[in-house]
Amino acid sequence: MSGRIPGMAERELVEFTFEGEKVSAWEGDSIAMALWAVGQTDLRNSSSNGAPRGVLCNMGICYECLVIVDGETVRSCTTMVQPGINVQRGGKR
Amino acid sequence: MSGDRVLEADVGIVGAGPGGMAAATKLAAAGLRVVVLDEGQRAGGQIYRQLPKGATSQAAMPEPPSHDHGHDLIKEFEQHAENGLQVIHGATVWDAQPGLLWFEHDGESRLLRCGHMVLAPGAYDRAIPFPGWDLPGVTTAGALQVMTRGFGVVPGKRALVVGSGPLLLPTVTSLLGAGVEVVAALEASSRWRALRALPAVAFHAARRREAMWYLKQLSRARVKLQWGWTVFACEGDGRVQRAIIGKVDGNGRPRKGTERTIECDVVGAGFGLVPSIEIGLRLGVPSQFIASRGGHCLVVDAEQRTSVSTVFAVGEICGIGGAEVASAEGELAAVAILRELRGAEMQPAVAARARLERKAADAMLSAFAPLPGLHELARPDTIVCRCEDVTRLRAGQAAAMHGKTMRAIKVGCRAGMGPCQARICGPSLQAMATGDNECQMDLPVVQVPLKPVRSETILNAPE
Repeated sequence: MSGRIPGMAERELVEFTFEGEKVSAWEGDSIAMALWAVGQTDLRNSSSNGAPRGVLCNMGICYECLVIVDGETVRSCTTMVQPGINVQRGGKR
Repeated sequence: MSGDRVLEADVGIVGAGPGGMAAATKLAAAGLRVVVLDEGQRAGGQIYRQLPKGATSQAAMPEPPSHDHGHDLIKEFEQHAENGLQVIHGATVWDAQPGLLWFEHDGESRLLRCGHMVLAPGAYDRAIPFPGWDLPGVTTAGALQVMTRGFGVVPGKRALVVGSGPLLLPTVTSLLGAGVEVVAALEASSRWRALRALPAVAFHAARRREAMWYLKQLSRARVKLQWGWTVFACEGDGRVQRAIIGKVDGNGRPRKGTERTIECDVVGAGFGLVPSIEIGLRLGVPSQFIASRGGHCLVVDAEQRTSVSTVFAVGEICGIGGAEVASAEGELAAVAILRELRGAEMQPAVAARARLERKAADAMLSAFAPLPGLHELARPDTIVCRCEDVTRLRAGQAAAMHGKTMRAIKVGCRAGMGPCQARICGPSLQAMATGDNECQMDLPVVQVPLKPVRSETILNAPE
């Protein structure tokens, strides 16, 4: 169970899509944290056995949280949400 | 902010954590042209990470007394940033030569030309592979700090905190502040080993105050640090749902028959930190291996100068020491640069403070040097290199066939060849592949780009 810490860090709402589903985020969220806040911790599949992978370091070091934003593979922990972006699970790499 | 692809400065600084901020503030105050390149979105680094811009908070996370120093540093730094000091956030430095820093910013390939350079890139969490460490919901301890303090996001309902060293305490208090139930906090070191840190804490007023604050937070929430315990495995369907925990011996080796299962949906693992030295190695700076400082770290002189005379290094890149060490060393580097460029006087008090803080940190952290026995947590089928999905068994086969060096293991099984460039698996890969728990990691082979960037960034790099 995740969510937002009550009363902390409130910001303007931003909407984007993850795998075609609408996600409400807050301005200034990283994609990884916007998704975590709505309970989406599974961000890509490992290339060997398809097992789910998600955030490990949350500071741009590990490249475990890769997702595809409008065709480009990015680190979801260091890429900020923008209104209207289309985010898809990162695949093989 | 200037959109020029090539920037010029007297001093270029990499990183806006305590070390970079302290150096930048002092240099900018003396009227030098300073440019700071920082990968984060706001000043503060990981330790004093700020919430996103425009955030309003009625509730605040509980903060230890040391963060007052962080607020002061950030305030002064940001005042200078409005008056001439140029700070570029979201900048990924991908190559460096003395006087030159190539970076990607906002999709653009840019270059900073600078006379002097201060390297303050910080550190990252040391990961120790164990079965199930690749399940979503299992993160580093630092990741949970970023989540709670940096974004105001609740990590989960029930959290397990494991690892070793002083950073377990802030991880626990951040989780408590976020309203998460901390089901257990496991310190792998024995209580007796950790007692070695006691004099260093007891005789350092600020550290003593800090420790007392943390203990108060833990006791108020009835969370007890369990010494000599760690995580053996994590399990779950698509996300961690339970962890197997157990006791370890004085060397960190798991003790059979001590296992217990504990329900949790978040696991934060922090086995200390590793200095981010890649940029220093690229610049040709010599390094030394000091286990209690996190492994390979840069060598500097008594004024933080490296063997490359225009390149200075401060904070974690010279060995893990914490924010107080970093800011003291940042100030010291600035004093030395001002002495060279402006003929300013030496400041013995600044140098003495940096030495004192470093000594105190070394004394404390020597009690938490990585425990080699923890390398026995991973099983043959545990993935050790997450980028390339290499199991411990395959890494071991590669070491047996090609040799025990990092380079041989990489060539033999691709472990360490992925985008993290062995930052995650590297520190424990050789020990795991060779079965020699005490095996030290070879000096990393520096690759350019220092971090993955777009190919256009490299092709269009300004000269």
